[in-house]
Amino acid sequence: MTSLKAYILTRLILSIPMIFILLTVVFVILRILPGDPVLAIVGMKASEEQLEKLRRQLGLDKPLWMQYIDYVMSILRLDFGRSMIWGRRPVLTEIMDHFPATLELSVSAFIVSVGIGIITGLLSSLKPSSKVDVSLRIFSIVAYSLFIPLLGMILQLIFGVYLRILPVAGRKSPLVDIQTMTGLYIIDSILTLNLEGLITSIRYLILPSITLGVVLSGVYTRLVRSSMLDVLSADFIRALKARGIPKKQLLFKHALKNAFIPILTMMGLQFSILLAGAVLTETTFSWPGMGTFLMERIEYRDYTTVQGTIVFFALLVSLVSLAVDVVYALIDPRIRY
Amino acid sequence: MARTTLIAIIVAVVIIAVAAGYFLMQKPSEITPPPEEKPPEEKVIIIGTTDKVTDLDPAMAYDFFTWEVLSNVGEGFFKYEPETLELVPGLAESYEVQEGGKVWILKLRKGLKFRDGTELTAEAAKWSIERVARIEGDPAWFVTDFVDKVEVVDKYTLKITLFQPVAFYKAVLAVPTYFPISPNSYPADEISPDNTAGGIGPYYIEKFVRDQELVLKANPNYYEKPKTDKIIIKFYKDATALRLAIESGEIDIAWRTLNPSDIVDLKKKEDLQVIEGKGAFIRYIVFNSRIPPLDNKLVRQALAAALDRKAIVDKVFLGTVTPLYSLVPAGMWGHIDAFKDKYGEGPNYDLAKQLLQQAGYSETNKLKIELWYTPSHYGSTEADVAAVIKESWEKTGMVEVEIKSAEWSTYIELTRGQGLPVTLYGWYPDYLDPDNFLFPFLHTDSNRWLGKPYSNPDLDVILEEAQVETDKSKRADLYAEAQRILADDAPIVPIFQGKLFIVAKKNVKGIVLDPYMLLRYWLIYKE
Repeated sequence: MTSLKAYILTRLILSIPMIFILLTVVFVILRILPGDPVLAIVGMKASEEQLEKLRRQLGLDKPLWMQYIDYVMSILRLDFGRSMIWGRRPVLTEIMDHFPATLELSVSAFIVSVGIGIITGLLSSLKPSSKVDVSLRIFSIVAYSLFIPLLGMILQLIFGVYLRILPVAGRKSPLVDIQTMTGLYIIDSILTLNLEGLITSIRYLILPSITLGVVLSGVYTRLVRSSMLDVLSADFIRALKARGIPKKQLLFKHALKNAFIPILTMMGLQFSILLAGAVLTETTFSWPGMGTFLMERIEYRDYTTVQGTIVFFALLVSLVSLAVDVVYALIDPRIRY
Repeated sequence: MARTTLIAIIVAVVIIAVAAGYFLMQKPSEITPPPEEKPPEEKVIIIGTTDKVTDLDPAMAYDFFTWEVLSNVGEGFFKYEPETLELVPGLAESYEVQEGGKVWILKLRKGLKFRDGTELTAEAAKWSIERVARIEGDPAWFVTDFVDKVEVVDKYTLKITLFQPVAFYKAVLAVPTYFPISPNSYPADEISPDNTAGGIGPYYIEKFVRDQELVLKANPNYYEKPKTDKIIIKFYKDATALRLAIESGEIDIAWRTLNPSDIVDLKKKEDLQVIEGKGAFIRYIVFNSRIPPLDNKLVRQALAAALDRKAIVDKVFLGTVTPLYSLVPAGMWGHIDAFKDKYGEGPNYDLAKQLLQQAGYSETNKLKIELWYTPSHYGSTEADVAAVIKESWEKTGMVEVEIKSAEWSTYIELTRGQGLPVTLYGWYPDYLDPDNFLFPFLHTDSNRWLGKPYSNPDLDVILEEAQVETDKSKRADLYAEAQRILADDAPIVPIFQGKLFIVAKKNVKGIVLDPYMLLRYWLIYKE
């Protein structure tokens, strides 16, 4: 087994206890929180008999330790259980219904943030302490400290209400049908050759992804700038300059390439922040993704759904960070595990 | 090489995204044709709401919005005539009441079919009612509390025998829980929460994507043709998003629930209309008379007298609600302004001070109470409601109020369990009859959900009598007496009655807002 394969395997094994610790913490916190899920489900007018019956059906009449063991056993069988409210749909189905929306938003916001970050960071590093540099650095601080709902609302007002050129909420026009296969509307529209669907999905995606992307771009701007400055002052760049390599080639082929490792690290770290930001963005734009879904289910104390969703997120974050580590190794031959 | 490719891909994607964005912004009209540009044969109305669909099964649904959807994709034996509270035949073309109101004979319309082709027969109707009782969902009590047995007389005639005569049973028969559904589309013994089959109504559900959209199409099997072929309901997360959607022209109608300030602002928009209607939902304060010092009637009366309803209506709701002086909403038969008769329009600080003094309180020995509210269940205005109530009570100089709050699931748990001294609650009626505004609150065996705040055997007798009395004027007298007792004992104090507001584009017509409160989509059309 190569060292990389061994590393991947170890990381995967290590993520198992991590997920169980998280699962236990979530399980305990949900039960410590005041609020009776059964009452929240059936409404305050329900009779005692109705409450008891539902408590039994949901297994909430058992002692806590037994509920915990039941839950862990079902997770081991990869059974996320059923939601406790509104039709008791399987948690995995609920996740699969909502996750594509979050994924689509996150990916597009990620592209926006990295794009803005690289362009502004690069411009900023070309002439340090120039007017351009100072303004872009200020931009990065402002962008990072912007409150997502505030920026979202400003964009909604400008492009939705005043100019009326972009939609303010939702994922697609209600007048356009998209046949879903992956749940990612852009991909689905391409797969089904639905031009109308593609256009509406992109239009609805623009404002939310710009909102989230701009806020997250500040980090990249600063990182690209400092990383580029480091690289540009390195000996090998000076040597290349001395050899008369054209500036463009120097910047893009040699400097940016080498400055990319810390940026890649940041991309991995930013992933969980991206998901957290997606929650706020989803609420602002009524985007039917995981964020709004999770918030709503926490309010209703839908134990199984909240637990399942958090386990899902934990798995996702650990897989992404593992993937980032693997990409390092592939990009930079010096990195060995 | 790999890094260069990666950078190239990223740059290309950004450029494409920017170019696409620019292109799309340049030609908005060509990209999404507004509804009116659709082919004329299909008329579409888009309604935005912050509500959500819970369980699309009449045996389980028990919330305002899901009932609204069910009322548009199904129908009961009776239905409310728009603009009035009169119950007219729905799927039952005629009916007969026997044995002093104990037996109901319903003759169904012939030739109606469910979406799956099954014919509407007495057998299907019986199956639907018995299914509700079997499943024992949240609204099962509409059947189990009243119905002894359901029998099929002939193919189109149904006989319902009640345990005892119920004066308002016709209204109960109109609730969605009684809507006939097809035995071939719903399981007999279990809930079918995402079932889009529906009953027999003006529309059927063409598509339902939870949290996103619900598409309804005119039902060719229904006996009347809706004015609009297709209704699309879009779901929004909050009032702000809903407001932006109507302002940007994305939707034709913004229905529940905009903030009071949004309604005031949108009234000024030239391209929009704000339609106002009477609502039958009420808000009230519950004094738990088992908890000292609220076990003292004088204390409850003093607080009832010092309540400044006008300040709540004007300051918090900007005039979008009206003060209420009984639990029975104004405009409903049987209503009397019991609290106004007893305490005046309010706030009546002189009377409040006098009562507090009688109860042993003074400016140096203040009455100390906790006032509880829940921050989001009744909208974002709730904290302000609590603050204004505190202010009005403290103006007596003899009361000190501590405001406390809890999230909804905790709030109702605390109310039912240990009991909270003073709480704020609201009520959407199940059926339109004074009984539904008095019995669940005041009858000893029925108000456990409010933490059993009150018990009065004399009042219990009056309420029970009013339930079985079939003479409407006698019932009105009984309810008037019940409301006077309520005002005197003051275990629950009404605050205000809600109005209904819809913001719509100027060319949208046919919106009926009446105390039934559920929007009838089939009457709405665009000019």
